[in-house]
Amino acid sequence: MRTPGKRERSEKTEEVPSTGGTIASSSDLKAGDRVVYPKQGVYRVTGLEQKDIAGQRLEFVRMSREEDGASVLVPLGKVATIGLRRVASADDIEGVFHYLGATYGDPELDWKVRHRDNVERLIAGGVLGVAEVVKGLHSLSRLRPLPAKERELYDSSRHLLVNEISVSLGVPDVIAEDYVDYALMPPAGVKLPLKTPPTPVELKGPPWKRKKPVAAEEEDDLGLADLGIDLGALEGVGVGATDSEESEEGESEGEKPSEEAAEEAAVPAKPVAPVKAAAAVKTAAPAKKIAPAKAPPAPRKAEPVKKPEGAKKATAPAKKAAPPPKKAAPAKKVAPPAKKAAPPPKKGAPAKKPVKPAKGKKK
Amino acid sequence: MIRIVTLASFDPGDITFLSKTLYRSFGVGTEHAGERPLPRKAEQDDGRFDALALLDDAPPVRAYADDKVLYLCDVDLANPEGPLGEPPAWGYAIQGGERALVSTFRFKPRGVTEASIEIYRRRLARESIHFLGHLWDLHHCYDARCAMHPSWSPALPDDPEFELDAFCRDKSERRIRLAKT
Ligand SMILES: [Zn+2]
Ligand SMILES: [Zn+2]
Repeated sequence: MRTPGKRERSEKTEEVPSTGGTIASSSDLKAGDRVVYPKQGVYRVTGLEQKDIAGQRLEFVRMSREEDGASVLVPLGKVATIGLRRVASADDIEGVFHYLGATYGDPELDWKVRHRDNVERLIAGGVLGVAEVVKGLHSLSRLRPLPAKERELYDSSRHLLVNEISVSLGVPDVIAEDYVDYALMPPAGVKLPLKTPPTPVELKGPPWKRKKPVAAEEEDDLGLADLGIDLGALEGVGVGATDSEESEEGESEGEKPSEEAAEEAAVPAKPVAPVKAAAAVKTAAPAKKIAPAKAPPAPRKAEPVKKPEGAKKATAPAKKAAPPPKKAAPAKKVAPPAKKAAPPPKKGAPAKKPVKPAKGKKK
Repeated sequence: MIRIVTLASFDPGDITFLSKTLYRSFGVGTEHAGERPLPRKAEQDDGRFDALALLDDAPPVRAYADDKVLYLCDVDLANPEGPLGEPPAWGYAIQGGERALVSTFRFKPRGVTEASIEIYRRRLARESIHFLGHLWDLHHCYDARCAMHPSWSPALPDDPEFELDAFCRDKSERRIRLAKT
């Protein structure tokens, strides 16, 4: 069995092939589409919007995060560069489990390299990249407790992975997380029916050549500065706006600088901090201004790896949409005993309804 | 407030121990809301109970915003089959939601000795903290000494610790604070 873990890096730097399911153009998006915004979660496209800003008419895609209703506007021209991708298909997810269940090679011990790689995996590695981060940090945690910052990254990556599995398979989050850990640490006496795991997307360039961490280039820049747009004037575009709110909630906290100052470089600000549901009502978020002198960000993507024969689709074709949840039986909605005062549907995502296993199907 | 609803007969001493432990873990008041009948609708042909359906059909209790309801039962629970098999079901919860379920079915028998009852109570506390933890958005934890470590993990000793580790405790405290505001 192939062992994931440390991987050889490609020295090629020119090619920028797309990773699995990446949405290459805004024309691939329509209302109702479910997409994954790297490091942010699963969103549903609600529609296209036009806004007049500084005398220019601009088009945006509005998306709403499924888990909490957080709303975000992405300029059409930026759709291709922020790494938006389709929700993983059931086949992709199956590959994830075979990957999680496989034995792991030696974890990367240099924390700077490790952190940079992990951030890159989250942005450009597709769902398997997220699984790589979880499995890598999980393996490391068996050697020693993770430092605070990586403990946060472990938790936020786990959150992203669980959420995407839940959406893709149509099972509740808690069940999706059980599936993840069943693969990572099967109960005593259980032998997992593992197949050859898919090969993760190869990271680009050796660490010593990557002077500037890839994540730093993503930053929280939607390129609006290139358009001469003051984000502060733009309602609903929550660029870097809710960082403090997010941190308060403990989400996406792998991104907060801590111990070593050098680490900061590897830590991206949120590409777009989603406006929380409550705030989304008026969709006004105080937005951070982008330095006008800043060069336009170059989209960097990881290179795909040659798939081993018979391997599952580590990289799905860009156009391939996620199939409807495989197991989405018409599930009953759990009626909470008490209605929350807050209106946003915290956990009411359509595909996250509990699945009813067929009666008597179980052993 | 955490409201405990028993779907089987439980020893009052066990519930008292649980209430105290939950208060210590989450800083949230706990009360026993009483015993209710087990919803038989969730029973499968194989005699096990569909964990998701059981929580779904569990009798509602009066609760207020931000209250959490913990159902305790003693039946064999079933999880939906996953891509690599069916993870053992010790309970179920709705991540970030209001209702959680714990079954004592997989516990070591309660027995009659002080030592065996103590182990049973500690396990009841651990699993309750685990599934309530999911209600406050906690994920699983790699630390086998933390209650958020998966209940079936081979790293868990027979009588595992029943507290949250520092990371999970901090996170749950933040969530609970946030829910209050
Ligand atoms: Zn759990
Ligand atoms: Zn923990």
